[in-house]
Amino acid sequence: MTVIQQVLLELDEDYLGRPYYVSGNALYQAIARRVDASTRRSVAVSNGVFVPGEHGEYLDEHSQSGGAPYFGAGLRPVESYEDLFLFRSAAQRWLSSSRPRDAHNTHDLRVHGGRVAFAPTVRFGLPSESRNSKRTMTWYVHFYVHDDTGSNDAVPLDEDVLDGLRLGGARNYGLGETSLKDTQTVDLDALDYSTLEDAEESFELELVSPYVTASEYPGADDQSVPWWWTPRPGGLRRREERLVEDGEVYELQTIDHGQVVGYGGPDPVGTAKSGVLRVGTHARFGFGEFRLRSVSTDRVPERASIAAARESAGGER
Amino acid sequence: MTGAGDPDELDELQPPSTEIRPVTEQEANAGEASSPTADAESASVKADDDVSMLSVYRHDVHKSRGRSHEDAAAEFAGVPVNEPVPLGADADAALLSRPRGEPAQSVKNHISPFRLSLVTGETATSAGRVDGGIRGALAELVQIEDPVEMHAAWLESAVASIFNESVYYPYTSLKFHTLLTAALVDNYRAGYGFDELYLVVDQSEDAEADPRVVPHRTVLVLPSFALRITGEPGERSAARLGAAPAMSWADVWTRLPEHPFDGDDERMWRVVDAQLRRIRSWSTALQFIEESYGWWQALQRSSRLGGGEQ
Repeated sequence: MTVIQQVLLELDEDYLGRPYYVSGNALYQAIARRVDASTRRSVAVSNGVFVPGEHGEYLDEHSQSGGAPYFGAGLRPVESYEDLFLFRSAAQRWLSSSRPRDAHNTHDLRVHGGRVAFAPTVRFGLPSESRNSKRTMTWYVHFYVHDDTGSNDAVPLDEDVLDGLRLGGARNYGLGETSLKDTQTVDLDALDYSTLEDAEESFELELVSPYVTASEYPGADDQSVPWWWTPRPGGLRRREERLVEDGEVYELQTIDHGQVVGYGGPDPVGTAKSGVLRVGTHARFGFGEFRLRSVSTDRVPERASIAAARESAGGER
Repeated sequence: MTGAGDPDELDELQPPSTEIRPVTEQEANAGEASSPTADAESASVKADDDVSMLSVYRHDVHKSRGRSHEDAAAEFAGVPVNEPVPLGADADAALLSRPRGEPAQSVKNHISPFRLSLVTGETATSAGRVDGGIRGALAELVQIEDPVEMHAAWLESAVASIFNESVYYPYTSLKFHTLLTAALVDNYRAGYGFDELYLVVDQSEDAEADPRVVPHRTVLVLPSFALRITGEPGERSAARLGAAPAMSWADVWTRLPEHPFDGDDERMWRVVDAQLRRIRSWSTALQFIEESYGWWQALQRSSRLGGGEQ
C-alpha cells in the first residue's frame, strides 16, 4: 500500500507568493509547525496547484464522466492513474466552455507595497456599472502529502493540522489565509494503470513541477537530466527557483515545469508511481513531480477531436 | 440597427449596450468554426493568390460594430471590408481562440463588441480615449494601402484591441484574431499545413535593438521580444502548434524551449508567465501579454512618481 492524502484548501485572503503554485516547501513549513517531530521528519508535500471553484466536467481520460456545478470546489473520486491529475494542470481543462474559462482560471491581481499579489476570488461581468450582476468565484489550492520513509505512518494528517494554514508572504498582515475544504486518501497501488500497460505503446513525460538540477542547499546533490528522459529538439527550458528555510534563501536551478519529454525507460507503471511521489533533489518539497501518458493521446483533447474530424472529412490543413 | 451600430456613438465611449444583439452572428460563427472542406479550397487556391493581404486585415472590421459577416456592410471608411479570407484561415484562427461549435453567450451580462480585459476586469474602452476617436482610428487603420505597413499598423494598434472577436466570447481580441488570421494565410500560401507550424520567440539582440518583425507572421511585438507563427522556425526557440487549430495556447506556451524574459521586470513576467500557463484562447493570451506589459509600465511610473514626492 502506498498512500497519498489529497487536500483542497480554500483561499480566504490575498496570496502573496509564488505565482505558479504554492510551493511544496511553503506548505511543508506551514504543516511542520503543527505536527510532531517524527511526522515532521517523514512527511513529503507536493506543490499546491491553484484550482478555480467553477463549473466543469470530467475529460474523457478520467474514470468518471459527467460534470457538476462548482466542480473545482471539491475533491473527486480517484480510481485510475489519470484521475490523480484532474486538478494538477495549470490549464484546468475540465472547466466548462459555456463560461469564460480564461477569466475563471486567471488571478485578479492586487498590489501590496509594490508587489503583485493574487486575490482570493475572481470577479467578472461588468464591475463598475452593474455591481449586482457580478458573480464571485473562489480559488482553491490542491496538494497532496505522503510519508517519505517507506511506511504510511505520517498520513493522513489530522484535519486540525490542515485547517487554517497560512501561505506565502506577509502572513503577519493576514495575507495567505486558507481553510480546509476537503481531503481524502488514495492508495497508489490500487489504481488502474491500464493506459500505461500496452507494451507496444510509446510514452511521454510531462513535468508537473520543476526538476532540480542544482541547489545551494547544504549537502544537496546536483542532478543531470535523467537518462530515461529523451528531450525534444530545441532542448529544455530552465528556470531559477528558490528554497526558503529559517529565513535563509537557497537558489535552485531547475528544468521548468509544463515541458514534455519522451520516456525512454523500461517500466512505465513503476515510473508513473515514482512520478507521483516525485524524483530528484528536494522531492520532499514539491519538486520533481511528473505524469506519463501515451504519445498517441493529445494533451489538449479538443485538438485531437478537431484533427480527427478533419481527417475523416479528407481535408488536412 | 442598434445604438452602438452608429459609429458616431462609438466615439463617445459609452458603456457597451446590452441591446447589441447581432442575431445572425450565431449562424455566421457556426459556419466559421466548422472545418472547411479540402476540395472546395483547392479549387479556389488560384483565385486566393490574387486576394490581397489587405483584405485579410480588413475582414473583421465589421465586428467593431457588433455585426455578423452576413449582416455587415461591404464598405467601411471607403474601403471594401468583410471579404472572404482565403484557405480557411479565418475559421482556423477562430478555433485557436474560441470553443468549437454553436457559440454560447459565455458572459451573461456582457453582450457587446467591446472586449473585456483579463487584466482589469473592465471593458477595454475604460483604459482611456483613443486618439482621434474610435471611428477615426479604425478608418486610418483600414485605409492603409501597403500590406507590410498594414501589418505593422495592426501590431501597434490600440483601437483594434478595444474589440472582441465574437460578442459571445468577450475576453477574445479582434486585434490578435486578425493578426493570427494573417499569419495563417501567409503560411498556408507558402505551402505549410497547420500541423507544420510553430510558435517562435524572436528576442531583441540587445537592450537598444527592436525585436525582429517578419511581415504578416509576427503576431505580437513588445520592446524586448516578438512572437511569430511560422513554418520556418530555423534556429529560433520554437514549439509546434500541434495537429489542428484548437484552444491550445497554454500547451504550446509551456512547451517553448525558452521564454522571453525581461530582466528588469522579473517578478512581473513571472506573474504573466504563470497566468499564460492557465489561458487557453490564443487571442486572449496575446492580448493579455500586451495589456499586462502596459499595466505594469503604468504601475512602475506611478510608483516612481509617488516615491519621488515623499
